[in-house]
Amino acid sequence: MIPFLDITKDVCPMTFVKVKMGLTKIAPSEKMNVLLKEEALKNVISSLKTEGHKVTRVERKDDAFLLEVERSENPTGRDG
Amino acid sequence: MNEADYKELKKGGMMRQKEAGLFSVRLHVVGGHLTTAQLRAIQEAADRYGRGAVHLTARQGVEIPFVPTDSLAALKEFLLPSGVGVGVCGPTVRTVTACQGCRVCPSGVIDSPELAEAVDRAFYGKPVPHKFKVGISGCANNCIKAEENDIGIKGWTEPRWAESACTYCGVCEAVCPTKVVHVSEGDCKISVDLSGCIGCGDCIESCPTGSMAEGSRGYRLFAGGKFGRVPFLGKKILGVLRTGEEAIAAIEAAVEFFRAHGKSRERFGDTLQRTGFPALETYIRERLGQKV
Repeated sequence: MIPFLDITKDVCPMTFVKVKMGLTKIAPSEKMNVLLKEEALKNVISSLKTEGHKVTRVERKDDAFLLEVERSENPTGRDG
Repeated sequence: MNEADYKELKKGGMMRQKEAGLFSVRLHVVGGHLTTAQLRAIQEAADRYGRGAVHLTARQGVEIPFVPTDSLAALKEFLLPSGVGVGVCGPTVRTVTACQGCRVCPSGVIDSPELAEAVDRAFYGKPVPHKFKVGISGCANNCIKAEENDIGIKGWTEPRWAESACTYCGVCEAVCPTKVVHVSEGDCKISVDLSGCIGCGDCIESCPTGSMAEGSRGYRLFAGGKFGRVPFLGKKILGVLRTGEEAIAAIEAAVEFFRAHGKSRERFGDTLQRTGFPALETYIRERLGQKV
């Protein structure tokens, strides 16, 4: 069962902070699902990419998006 | 003091104050950048020749107010070793403003301070029909408000879609602030109307698969902007310029165009209203060899 994180009620910077916390709870190469609002898409995805994680699937859910995120083997980036 | 002396003084950036015999001395600052040594020299100068205070201007400049007429030369000489010169006023190319650019700011696309220095070296204080301001924003966030300047520049990133890995997930369409990205999953096609693109690069940064890639990255010019009594926003001209050298050459051509077509005490934007913006673009393209 892939862990699920709903950040639709959060705003920046808590959106990415919560995703980052979620990623620490899974092993490298494992996946988690993140449900987020459209306005958080850019910051969350670009931060994930900067740190070397992957967004492996994107699905529209009404006015939100569901991302499947794969944790990097070796997180990079300034906070990595 | 006679009027000729005053005009001479004004050329040097000494702003006559309301109270006779006092001047607010405008300093030459580029992109709001000063070293701490320069700040100490300015502090000392304001203590010695002014009243122990400085004014930070609306365009990243510094003025030392309350300097008496007979201290102007001494103040200028005192600041000389620190590398802080006296500024300009009148119908000249004015202070170049800039953000901290890509060396400091995570959003930065271009090196704004470096370009500001180059623009300053090439044009600062040069005569033009009316005051001429250049402002440089490192990216589309536009902290420097490029469109308020006679020539404004923004760091710019335009996307190019490569279908290979695209899953048509719609993130690029969703994040585009001007809604110029359109995903057509049925046709397996993504279109971008670059005429409405603001060069922010959000679609590129957000793309999970890297299918929305960088098409062009560089410098985007805006011409004819001003604030003051009758504000006017500068208009986007030319294509994306690839190098700082091209940007400098384009500004040089714009200044030449202004000198050729501008009337005395007419701002660049008013000149362009008369000539039309395409006339400026044609002139610049001819000077740059059509490549923009």
